[in-house]
Amino acid sequence: MVHVLGGAQTDFERNWKKEGKNLVALLKEVIHDGFEETGFSFEELRRLNKENRVESFVGNFIGELYIDQGHLGSFLTEVDEAFYGVPSARFEAACASSSVALDAAITKINAGEIDVAIVVGFEIMKYVDSKVGGDILGRAAYYEKEGKGIEFPFPKLFGRLADAILEKYPDLDEKRFMDALAKISVINYENAKRNPKAQTRKWFMSFEQASQRGNDTNPLVGGRLAVSDCSQVTDGACCVILCSEKYVKEKGIDSKVVVKGYGHRNAPLLFDKKIKDNANSEYVLPWTRQAVLDAYRRSGLTVDDIDVFETHDCFTSSEYAAISAFGITEPGKECEAVENGTIAFSGKKPINPSGGLIGCGHPVGASGARMFLDCYKQVSGKAGEYQIKNAKNAMMLNIGGSATTNFVFIISKE
Amino acid sequence: MKSMKTVTVLGAAGAMGSNISAIFASFGAAKVYMLDIGKPDKAIDKAVKSVRAESIRNRLIPADYSMLEECVSESDLVFESVIENIDIKKDVTKKASQFLKQGAYFCTGTSGLSINEISKALPEDFRKKYFGVHFFNPPYNMTLCELIKTDTSEQSDVDYLKDYLSKQLLRTVVVCKDRPAFVGNRVGFQFINAALQLADKYANEGGLDYIDAIFGTFTGRLMAPCNTADFVGLDVHKAIIDNLSANTDDYEKQSYVLTDYLKELVGNKKLGRKSGEGLFKLQINEDGTKIPLVYDIQTKQYRVKNRYKFPFAEKMKAYLQNGDYQLAFNVLREDNSQEAIICKNLLKRYVNYALFVGKEVCDDMSGVDDALATGFGWCPPLALSNALFGTNYPTKYDYRSFFKAGK
Repeated sequence: MVHVLGGAQTDFERNWKKEGKNLVALLKEVIHDGFEETGFSFEELRRLNKENRVESFVGNFIGELYIDQGHLGSFLTEVDEAFYGVPSARFEAACASSSVALDAAITKINAGEIDVAIVVGFEIMKYVDSKVGGDILGRAAYYEKEGKGIEFPFPKLFGRLADAILEKYPDLDEKRFMDALAKISVINYENAKRNPKAQTRKWFMSFEQASQRGNDTNPLVGGRLAVSDCSQVTDGACCVILCSEKYVKEKGIDSKVVVKGYGHRNAPLLFDKKIKDNANSEYVLPWTRQAVLDAYRRSGLTVDDIDVFETHDCFTSSEYAAISAFGITEPGKECEAVENGTIAFSGKKPINPSGGLIGCGHPVGASGARMFLDCYKQVSGKAGEYQIKNAKNAMMLNIGGSATTNFVFIISKE
Repeated sequence: MKSMKTVTVLGAAGAMGSNISAIFASFGAAKVYMLDIGKPDKAIDKAVKSVRAESIRNRLIPADYSMLEECVSESDLVFESVIENIDIKKDVTKKASQFLKQGAYFCTGTSGLSINEISKALPEDFRKKYFGVHFFNPPYNMTLCELIKTDTSEQSDVDYLKDYLSKQLLRTVVVCKDRPAFVGNRVGFQFINAALQLADKYANEGGLDYIDAIFGTFTGRLMAPCNTADFVGLDVHKAIIDNLSANTDDYEKQSYVLTDYLKELVGNKKLGRKSGEGLFKLQINEDGTKIPLVYDIQTKQYRVKNRYKFPFAEKMKAYLQNGDYQLAFNVLREDNSQEAIICKNLLKRYVNYALFVGKEVCDDMSGVDDALATGFGWCPPLALSNALFGTNYPTKYDYRSFFKAGK
C-alpha cells in the first residue's frame, strides 16, 4: 500500500525566463513548498538517507532541448545538501514523464526497497519561442515522420484525432461535435478561475469565442481545431511525496490517501497506425480505454465509484475521447456528457476541476504529477475553491505523445 | 451572479475607455454603447484585441452624443472615462445623468479626482448610486479595480458592485474612501516621485539611470521607477503628483514636490514613451541598431545609458537566479554601500507609507497589498516587508514571483 502525503505545484502563470530564473530556482521552490505542505523536512531526508530508505524520481520530457540540460535526476543535489547521496534518476515518456516517475516510485515502495519517495515533475518551456517550442514537442511523436519540418505538429495530430472521431462515429453530427469541443474548452477555462495556481485564471473565454474558429483571435492551428481547443505551454513544476505503510505507522502519520490502482498501456507510436489499430474496437483510442480498465480491475472499483477525474486535455479532442475511455458514456456518445453537464464542475462526473491542461497550463513534464496532486487534493479535501464535495475516489489519465503512452492512476481516501 | 445587461461607456475612444468597454463586453457579457468614438472601427478593433476575443465585437455598439438619451436610458451602468478634468467630467456627467433609468449605477474612471465633488453634477436622488471605479492599464493584465465610495453610498450598493466587479468581471476589488489618488496611485506614485527626487539629488552619479539601476526588477517590480514614469507619461505623472500635493497633508508631503527637470520636460512636451522622448529616448541608427539614451539632469542632454554594476545588485541577482531569496535579501540588509542604503531606505519608506495610507483609505490592510500587486506588478508592501525586514504581516501574496533576476 502506497500512501500519498501530498505535495505542491508552482504557479503555472509564471514565466521563468521573464523572472530570469533557472532550473535550480524552480526545483528549490517546489521542493520547499512540497516539504512545507506535507510536514516533511531536510532533516528527515538526511535521517532516511543514512538508512538508504529514500529516493527521488524526476519526471521531465526534454530539458536537453528546452534548457540545454540533461542528467536531470541529479539536479536535486543543487536544491539542498540533504540530497547528497540520495538515489535519483530522471524518467521520460513525453507528456506522461512524471507518471512514469510516479510509477517507478510506487513500484519501489511496494517492493519494500524504500519507504519514502520524492517525485518531481517539471518543464521549462518559455526559454524558447513558440515555433521552436512547437518543433521540440514534435519529438513526442515519431519526429522523422510526423514532426520534422512541420510547423506546430501536435495541434495537427490532435486535429486528426478529431477527424478520426467523426469518421469512427458516422452518426455524430459535425456541428454538434465541434460545439461539444468548444464547451469542453469553456468548462476548463471556467474551472481554472477557481484555481489560484492556474495559468489562465485571468483569461477570457466564452462559448461564443470558443465556437467561432478561424478568426484573428481564434485562428485554426490543426485541421478543425483552433487556439481555444489547445492547452498552452508554460513553465512549472510539481512535487509529490509518497511513502510506505510502514513509514506511516512508524511516524504516526494520519494518512488516509492511498494509490489504489494504475493502468499503463502504450499504443502504436505513429498516428496512422494508431487509427488503423482501432478498427476492431468501439473506441477511437482502445489502448487508452484498456489502461483505464486495468486501473479499475487493479483497484476493484468501477466508474460508478469515481467522484472526480483529471484528464489530459492537451486538446479538446483528447478530453472528448477520454470521456468514453473512462466509461462515463458509451463510445460515440461522449457529446451527451458534455451537453447535459455530467462533466461540469457541478456535474455527476466532474472532469478537470483544476482547469486541466487547457485551464491550468501544460508544462509537459510536470502535468502528470500535477494531476496526481490534484487527485490527492480532491480526496483529502484540500482543493480549496475547486473542491468537489465528498470526493473519495479520483482517477487521472495522463498521456504522452498522440495518446501513445497512456497512464492512469486511481487515488482514494481509505 | 450580479450582472449588467447594458453599459454605456462615455469617452470610449481613449485607451482606457476602449479597454474597459472590452472588459464589460467580454467578462461581463454586456451590450456596450461606446460613446463617442470618432473612428468606430479603430476603437472597436482596439477593444477586441485587448481581450483577444473577436466574439465580443457584436456587443460593442458605436454611438455618438446625439444618441446619449437612447444609450443611457437603456443602461444598467454608465461608465464615464473622459479626460481627467473635473469641469469636463462634471459637465458630461450632468448631461448623461438626466437620462438615467431608476436603479442604474453611474461610475467614473477618474484616477484621483474627488468622487464626492463630481457626484454633485448628478440629480440628488441618483447620487447614492454614483461610484469611482478605477481600472489600471492595461485592464486585461492588471486586474486591480479600486471601488470608491462617497459620503452618500449605501453598503448594499457597495456590496453589489464589489460582487459584480470581482465575480463577473474578475477584478481584484479594493474598496477605498474618497481620498486623493485613492490607494494604488498614492502609494505607487509616492515611490516613483521619491525616486525621481533621488535622481535629482544624485544627478552627479548619473541621475535617472543610476536610480533605476538601484531599483531594478531585482527589488520586486516589473519595471524600474523612473522608467515607469516615462511609460505612464510625464504629464500624467505630473497631474497625479499635483493632485496629491494640493490635497494631501501627511508626513510624506515632501515626496509630492515635482523636480525642476521633470517640469521642464513636460513644458517642452517631452512626455515620455508616448511622445518619443522624455526621461529616456531610444536612438535608432541608420543601420537599424537601437541605442537606449537617458536624459542627463546636469547637462540637460540625452546621453547613452550607463551600465552600472553595483556589487550588492549583482550579488542579489545571482542569488535570485538560483532561487536563493533569503541569501539575496541578506545581501541587501548587510551591504552598506551608498546604493544599497538608498535602496533599503526607499523600500522602508514604501512599506511604512503603504501602512499609513492603507489605514486612511482602505477598509482593511489587505487592500494595500492587492493594489500594489495587481495594479503595479510590484511586490506588495506587506509581502515585501515580511521578505526583507522580517515582519510577519498577514498577506496572501508570495513575494518570490516579484523578485526577478533580470536578463
